[in-house]
Amino acid sequence: MRARAATLVRSSWIQLLDRLSITERLVLLLIPPAIGGAVVTILAAALVGPAFVDFLAANLPLVRFFVAVVAILLLTVPTAFVIIYMELKVIARMNLRVGPNRIGPWGSGMSVVHGLKVLIKEDFAPTGADLPVYTLAPVVTFLASAMTLLVIPFAPGLFGQDLNIGLLFFFAMGGLTVLGLLMAGWASFNKYSLLGGLRSAAQMVSYEIPLTLSAVGIILLTGTMSLNQTVLAQSGSALDWFVFKQPLAFLIFFIAATAEANRTPFDMTEADSEIVAGFATEYSGMRFGFFFFAEYVNVFIVSALTVTLFFGGWTAPFDWPWPVSLDPIDAWAAGPAWIALGLGAAILGADVLAVVIRLFGGRAWSIPAAFGLGFLVSGAALTALLLGACFIAFDWFAGIVWFMAKAYAFVFVFVWLRATLPRVRIDQLMGFAWKWLLPAALLNLFITAAAVILLDR
Amino acid sequence: MDRALKSRLEAQLGSVIRGAVRQRGDQTEIRIAPADLPEVLRTVHESIDMRFEVLADLAGVDTGDTMQVVLHLWGERSSDWLRIIVEGLPREKPRCPSVTFLWPGAEWLEREAYDMFGIVFDGNRDLRRIFMPPDYQSFPLRKDFYLPDDASRSPGMGVRPVEKPHAPAVAEPDPAAAIRRSPAS
Amino acid sequence: MPRRADRTRQPGPAEALPAAGPRPSLDDPRVMLDRQAGALFEEIPPYPARTEREAEFYTPTEGELFLNIGPHHPATHGVMRLVVKLSGERVVDVDPVLGYLHRGVEKICENSDYYHVIDQVDPLEYVSSLFQEWAAVLAFEKLMEVEVPQRAEYIRVLSAELLRVQSHTLYMGFLALDLGGLTPILYSFIERDEIVEMLAALTGARMLFNYFRVGGVNGDLNHEFMSRLGDWMSRAGKQAEANAALLNENEIFVRRMRGVGVLDRATALGYGVTGGNLRASGVPFDLRRVHPYSVYPQLDFNVPTRQEGDSLARYLIRVDEIRESIRIIDQCLHQMPDGPIMAPRLPRLLRPKPGRAWGAVEGPRGMLGVYAVSDGTDQPFRFRIHDPSFLNLEVVPHLLPGNLLADTMAIVASLDPVMGGIDK
Repeated sequence: MRARAATLVRSSWIQLLDRLSITERLVLLLIPPAIGGAVVTILAAALVGPAFVDFLAANLPLVRFFVAVVAILLLTVPTAFVIIYMELKVIARMNLRVGPNRIGPWGSGMSVVHGLKVLIKEDFAPTGADLPVYTLAPVVTFLASAMTLLVIPFAPGLFGQDLNIGLLFFFAMGGLTVLGLLMAGWASFNKYSLLGGLRSAAQMVSYEIPLTLSAVGIILLTGTMSLNQTVLAQSGSALDWFVFKQPLAFLIFFIAATAEANRTPFDMTEADSEIVAGFATEYSGMRFGFFFFAEYVNVFIVSALTVTLFFGGWTAPFDWPWPVSLDPIDAWAAGPAWIALGLGAAILGADVLAVVIRLFGGRAWSIPAAFGLGFLVSGAALTALLLGACFIAFDWFAGIVWFMAKAYAFVFVFVWLRATLPRVRIDQLMGFAWKWLLPAALLNLFITAAAVILLDR
Repeated sequence: MDRALKSRLEAQLGSVIRGAVRQRGDQTEIRIAPADLPEVLRTVHESIDMRFEVLADLAGVDTGDTMQVVLHLWGERSSDWLRIIVEGLPREKPRCPSVTFLWPGAEWLEREAYDMFGIVFDGNRDLRRIFMPPDYQSFPLRKDFYLPDDASRSPGMGVRPVEKPHAPAVAEPDPAAAIRRSPAS
Repeated sequence: MPRRADRTRQPGPAEALPAAGPRPSLDDPRVMLDRQAGALFEEIPPYPARTEREAEFYTPTEGELFLNIGPHHPATHGVMRLVVKLSGERVVDVDPVLGYLHRGVEKICENSDYYHVIDQVDPLEYVSSLFQEWAAVLAFEKLMEVEVPQRAEYIRVLSAELLRVQSHTLYMGFLALDLGGLTPILYSFIERDEIVEMLAALTGARMLFNYFRVGGVNGDLNHEFMSRLGDWMSRAGKQAEANAALLNENEIFVRRMRGVGVLDRATALGYGVTGGNLRASGVPFDLRRVHPYSVYPQLDFNVPTRQEGDSLARYLIRVDEIRESIRIIDQCLHQMPDGPIMAPRLPRLLRPKPGRAWGAVEGPRGMLGVYAVSDGTDQPFRFRIHDPSFLNLEVVPHLLPGNLLADTMAIVASLDPVMGGIDK
C-alpha cells in the first residue's frame, strides 16, 4: 500500500516534470539554490561582513594581489580569443581569402565557437600514455605562460606586482614552458610527439640565451630589472623609447621571441607537414585547448614584453600638443544624473537620426528600423565621446589603450610572419641561434656596456 | 622506321632473336627467350652503335597461353623505340631473369609485374608485392583471375573465366576455352 | 586504458597469416597492434621478411627507430606510406609502401572499349589528365594507323601545355605548403582556377577532361575559351614570374632546398627518372625533342636543363618550363590551321587489327607511356600504363638517407609525385 502510494506520488511528480519544457525545468531546478544562496549571503553579510572588510582593509597588498591574479587569469581567455580571431582573419586576407564570416558579425564568433568546441570534445588518453604526466603537461605550459602576466605593467598603477626582479621572473616563468612541452612529448606514447617534444625543448633552450642577453642591455641602461621602472625610464616622447638606443637588441629579441613562442618561421615543433602536430598530436579536447591557449597567450606576452622593454610600455609616443584636461567638468558631481543624461542624449540622437534616415533612405527604412539604427549610431557616438573623456581624464585608461594598441601591433606582426614565411629546418634553426644570435647579443652587450661607461664619464 | 637498327640487331643478336625483327611506325620489336635476356640487354645497352640507355618500361603480359615480359628501351643512336618481348614463360611458374643489374629502377617495375602476374624475377633483391596487401594470394591481372566477395582471402588458384561485361550470369562450360587469348602474340 | 568493450571483440585475421616467428619488437612497423600494447591480448605477429631487402630494412640496429609517415598525412601528396628508419633526426633508410590508391585501372581497361579507356585513364594523374589521355590515344592511333588532322594536333598541344602550366603552378604551391608557407598554395589555386575554367569552357569538365579521342579531339575551340585564353595570356607571364618570385627570393625556402636531395646523372638514368627531375640532373631528355610526336617539331621552345640535381634545381626547372609552355601556347595560337578536328571515316566502334603499340608523351612529371595490345576485338587485350611518378618515387630510398627528417618533405615534394598515377 505504501509502495503503491509512493509510486503514485512519484509518477505524478514525473508527470508534472514531463509537462514542463527544458527551460522551465532548469528554472525550477535553480530556484531553491538561488533562494538559499540569497539567504546565506544576506546572513553572512550581516554577521561576518564588517569583520571581513576590516580584515581586507588591513591586508590591502594581499587583496590587491588576489584581485590582480584573478584579473590576469580572466584576461588570458579573451586575449586568446582575440588573437585566434585575428589570426584567422588576417591570414585569410593575406591568402586572398575571406576567413570566417558567418558566425557573429564578421565572423568574430568563431573564436567562441572554437573555445566551446574544445570544451565539448571527448577527453581521452591514448593507450600507453603516462596519465599523470599527460594530464599535467598542458597545465604546466599554460601556467608558465599565464604567470608571466603578473609583472607586466599595463598602465600606470595597473600591474600585478612590481617585483624588483621582474625581468628575471619573466624569463624564469617563460622557461617553464619547455618543461610542459617535454612532458607532453614524452607522456603521449607516440613517436611523433616525442620528436616534437625534443625538437621544441632544443629550440626553446637554445633561443632563451639570446633572448635573455638582449634584454640585459636594457638592464644596463635602466639599472633595474623592474619592468615598471623600465617603462617609467622611457616616459617622455617616442624618442626616449629604448628601441632607438638598442636597435640590435630589439631585432635579436624579436627573433628569439618568435622562436620562444614556437611561431613560424620557427614552428618546427608543430610542423604539421611532417610530424602532424608535434607534441600535441595525441591531445584533444580541453587538454589541447590548454596548449592552444597557452600558445596564443605566449604570443601576447612576448609582444607585451617587447612593448614594455623597447617601445615604452604604456607611455604615449607624443604629448598632445594642446593641454586638454577635464578638470572644469567635475565628473562625480552629477552622479547618477550622468546616466539619465546619457540616455536622454541617445534617445534624442535616435530621433534626429531616424528623421534623417527616413528622409534619405525613403521607404526602404521602416520606422522601427530607422529608430533602431539611429539609436545604435547615437549610442556609438556617445560611447566614443565617453571613451575619449576617459582617455583624457584617467591616465590609467590612456595607458591601457596605448599599451594594448602597441602590443596588438606586434601580435599582428607575428601573425603576418606566420602567413608569409615557410619553416626553418631544425638544424638551420639551431645553427642560427648559436652562431648568429648569440654572438650578436654579446656584441650588443659589450657595446652597450662601453657606451654606458663612456657616457657616464 | 629505322632500317639501320634492324640490320644491327640482326647482325649482333641474330642467333637469339626468335622470328624476325618486326618494325612498324617508330617501333622495332624483337622476341627472345627468357634465358637470353641478360645477354641481349648487355648488348643493346653497351654496344657502341646501339646505346639503348633509357629503360622506358617493363611490363608483364598474359597472353592466355603463356606469359610475356615486355621491355621498352630508348637510345640516342636510334630514332625508334626498341621493344623486347621475352616470351614463352609458362603460366604456372613464370620465371625471368631480372634486369636490375643494369637498371636499378627496374626493381619496382618487376615488383609490379610480380604482383600483377606472379612472374618471378631471379636476381631482384626485393620481390614482394607492391600494390596489393602483403598477404594477398592472387595475381590480379592474370586472365584466370576471379574476384569472389572476400577477395583478400581468396586463394585465387581456381580457374574461372574473367567476367565479361555483358555476359550472362551462367558460368561458361569450358573454362580453358574461356580464357581470352591473344591471336597474334 | 583497457575498456571492457575491448575484451569482447574477436581477434582479427590472425589465422590467415603465416605462423608467427619470435616475439616481435614493438618498434617493428609491421606489427599491427590494434589493442593495448603489451598487455592483455596476443599480438598479431608480423609478416616474416620475404626478401633480403625487407630483412635488411626491418631489423633495426641500436638506437634506430621506425617512424611511419603514414597514409593519413597532411603532406604525402596522396595516400602513400613512408616507413622511415631514423637515428635521432637523421634518416637512415626508407621503405615506401604503395598501393593505397590502387584501383585496378589496367584490368578495368581490359574490359572497356576503346572510348571508355580514355575516360578510365583520366584519374591516374588527376592533376594533369590530358597527358594520360594523349598517351593512350597516341598508342591507339599507332595501332590503328589513324592520321590526326593538323588542327586537332594543335588543339591538343594547346590544351596540354595549358595543363602543364597549371600542374607546375600547383606543384609550386604544394612544395611551399610542405615547407610551411601557407600563402603560395592559395595563389597557385587562383592561377589554376583560371586555367581550369578555361579548359572547362573547351572540354566541359574542370578536372577529368575526357577530351582527346582516337583521331582528334572532342570539340572545337569556342568563343568563350578563346576570350578567356586571351585574357589569361595577357597577364600569364608576369603572374607566373610574380608567383615564382614569392619562393625564389625567400631565403628560408632557398636554404631548405639548396643542396638537399642531390640526384646525380648516373643514378637518375639508372632509375629511369624522367621529366624535370632528370633534366635537373643534367640530362637534356625531353620527349618533345628527342622523340617528337604531334606538332612539336614545328614549335620553337627550349628545354631547360640544370646541372646541380638538388631540390632547388628541380623547382627552378619547373619555373622555367612554365615560361616555355607559355611560349608554346603563343605559337600554337598563331599557327593554328583551319580544318577538321577529327580524323574522317572512323568507325563508331573501334576494332583495331591485332597488334601491339607503344605511345609516350612528355607529361609534367616525365614520360607517360602506354603499351596497348589488341586482339582484334573492341576491347584492348592488354593496356599497360607507365607512369613517371612511379620511377620518380623510386629514387626516394636513394635520396633520403643521410638527410634530416625535415628534408623528407622537401625532397618528396620536389619530385612531384601524384599518387593516382603511382598506384594506378
